[in-house]
Amino acid sequence: MTKFSISNTNYTYVHDQNDRSEGIDVHHIIVKRSGAKALFVYISVLVLLASAFYLYAYEGKSVTLVYYCLLFNIIFVKILLWRPVAKESVVIMPAFGVQLETHYMSGKVTRHFVPIDKILKPVLLERVTPMTCYWTLSLIVREESELMLIFKNLRPPVKMLVHVWKALCAGTDSK
Amino acid sequence: MGHHQNHRILMVSDFFYPNFGGVENHIYYLSQCLLKLGHKVVVVTHAYGNRSGIRYMTGGLKVYYVPWRPFYMQNTLPTIYGLLPIIRTILIREKITIVHGHQAFSTFCHEALMHGRTMGYKFTLADLSQAICVSHTSKENTVLRSGLPPEKVFVIPNAVDTAMFKPADQCPSIEEIVIVVISRLVYRKGADLLVEVIPEVCRLHPNVRFIIGGDGAKRVRLEEMREKHSLQDRVEMLGAVQHDQVRSVLISGHIFLNSSLTEAFCIAILEAASCGLLTVSTRVGGVPEVLPEDMIVLAEPDPSAMVQAVGKAISMLPEIDPQVMHKRMRELYNWHDVAKRTEIVYDHALKCSNQNLLERLSRYLSCGSWAGKLFCLVMIVGFLLWRLLELWQPADEIEEVPDVILPDNHHEEMLHQSQ
Repeated sequence: MTKFSISNTNYTYVHDQNDRSEGIDVHHIIVKRSGAKALFVYISVLVLLASAFYLYAYEGKSVTLVYYCLLFNIIFVKILLWRPVAKESVVIMPAFGVQLETHYMSGKVTRHFVPIDKILKPVLLERVTPMTCYWTLSLIVREESELMLIFKNLRPPVKMLVHVWKALCAGTDSK
Repeated sequence: MGHHQNHRILMVSDFFYPNFGGVENHIYYLSQCLLKLGHKVVVVTHAYGNRSGIRYMTGGLKVYYVPWRPFYMQNTLPTIYGLLPIIRTILIREKITIVHGHQAFSTFCHEALMHGRTMGYKFTLADLSQAICVSHTSKENTVLRSGLPPEKVFVIPNAVDTAMFKPADQCPSIEEIVIVVISRLVYRKGADLLVEVIPEVCRLHPNVRFIIGGDGAKRVRLEEMREKHSLQDRVEMLGAVQHDQVRSVLISGHIFLNSSLTEAFCIAILEAASCGLLTVSTRVGGVPEVLPEDMIVLAEPDPSAMVQAVGKAISMLPEIDPQVMHKRMRELYNWHDVAKRTEIVYDHALKCSNQNLLERLSRYLSCGSWAGKLFCLVMIVGFLLWRLLELWQPADEIEEVPDVILPDNHHEEMLHQSQ
C-alpha cells in the first residue's frame, strides 16, 4: 500500500493506493483540528461567562444576562469549533464506478455511488460567490443538468484537488 | 521606445457583455488589443440574469461575473464595503498589478477602485494615479470637477472597428438622398430636435428620405410627427437595431445625422464615417474633435441651424468618395493605437509613488467641510476591514491562478519554430 500526503493549515490529503492488481484508489481529505484556535475560543468563552457571573453576583444584574451569555457562548463555539464533517473520501474503482463518502465527527458515514457509465468527465472549476472565489472538483454526469461536487462540505486547495482530478481522469478513462 | 514590461490588468465596470453599448465595446476591444501586446487582462463585472461565475472569451480574456444584484440601469447596489472580500480575492489570485476602472458613474467600479486603493494597488481613473478621458473636452470637464492635476489626466480617444464598418462596394445613387439616424430615441440624444428638423428638411428638399433606427421614450413623438406631416413614405422607422446590423443600415444612406445634446465622444459618428457617410452633427462636447472638418458639418443644437447644415451637406455630397473616407478613418482610428497609448498610461501609473494611508487621509480632509471628514471615516473603516480580512483569510491561503495558454497560440508558436 503506497501512501502519499500533502497538508496545509486546514486540511490533510492522503492517497491510499492498492498496489495489487485490483487497482482501487482511495483519496481522503481530512479536516485538521487547530489547537491554538480551540484554546483561544475556550478562553474567551470562559472570560465572558466569568464576567456575566460577576455582574450577576456582585452588581445585581438579572440572571437572564447569564442565560443570554451562555446561549451566545454555545453559538460561538458551534460556529467556530464544532465541525460535523471529519473527513471526505473518494474511492475510485476503475471500470466500475466512483464512490463519494462523507465521514462525520459523530461516526456517521454517508456514501454515494456513481456508476462509470454515468460519468462523462471530472472537471476542475472556479466557483464565484458574492464573498470569495475558490476551486472545486466536480463530475459532469449524464442526463443531469447540475454538476456533482465531489467534496461537498470541504474546500481543499487546488494542489490537493489536482491529484484527485488526475486519478479520476485515469480511473474513468476520459480524455 | 523599448520593450514595455507585461502588466496584469483588471478591468472593472458595471457594463459588460451581454449588455450592449459603447463602454462594453470599448472594454472588449481594448482588452483584445492589450492581450495581443502580451499583457494579461481580467474583466470583473456583475452577474447578468443567470450568467454568473467565470467565463473565458476570445483570446483568453477571463471575465468574472460576480453575483451581486444590479440595482438601477445595470448599476450594482452601492453597498460600500460589500465588494471588498471578492475584489481582494480576485486581486490576489490573479496577481493583478493595475486596476483600470471604466465609466465615471459606475458604482461597482468606484467601490472596486476604492478597495484596491486601500490595498495599495496602482490605478487609472478617479482618486488615483492617472485618469484617461476620451476627448480634450472631457479632460477639461474632469479636471475642473474632480480637482485632479491636469498632468495626471491623459486623453486617449476611442476607436472604431474599421474592418467591420466598410462602405458598400456600390454606392447608392444620388438621385434620392438618404439620411440615416441611428441612436437611442431619448432626450439626451436630441430626439426632440429631430422632431423639428425632419419635417423642415423634407419640405425644403423633396428628394430626401430618412431612415431612423433605434428605440426609446421619444419614439412616440417621432411617430406622431410622421402622422402629422404625412411623411410615412419618406421617413422609415426601423425600431431597435442590433449592433451587427448597424453596418447594413448605414451603407444604405449618404448622410448620417447626429443630434445629441451632450456627448463626450461619439462612436456612432466614427462608425458612420468609416462606412463612407458624410456626417451632420450638433456642436457639443467632444464632437468637434472627432472628425476632420471635411468629413463633418457642425451646427448649433437649434432646429434652423441644423436644417441649414443638412442643406450644406447635401450640396457637398457629389464630392464625397466613401472609399477614401474609409481609408482615412483606418489610419486615424484603430484599436491597436489606443491599446499602445493605454500601455503608456499604465507604465506611468506604475512609476507613481504609492501614497500611504496617512497622506491620502490628509488629502481627503481638505475636500470639503464635512464631506472630507466623511470620506476619511469611510477610508479608515475600509482599511480596518481590510486588515480584518487579512487575518480571517490570509493572502497566502488564496491560491494564485495558473496562466492558461490557449492551444491556438501554442500551435502558432510551433508553426513558427518549425519554419
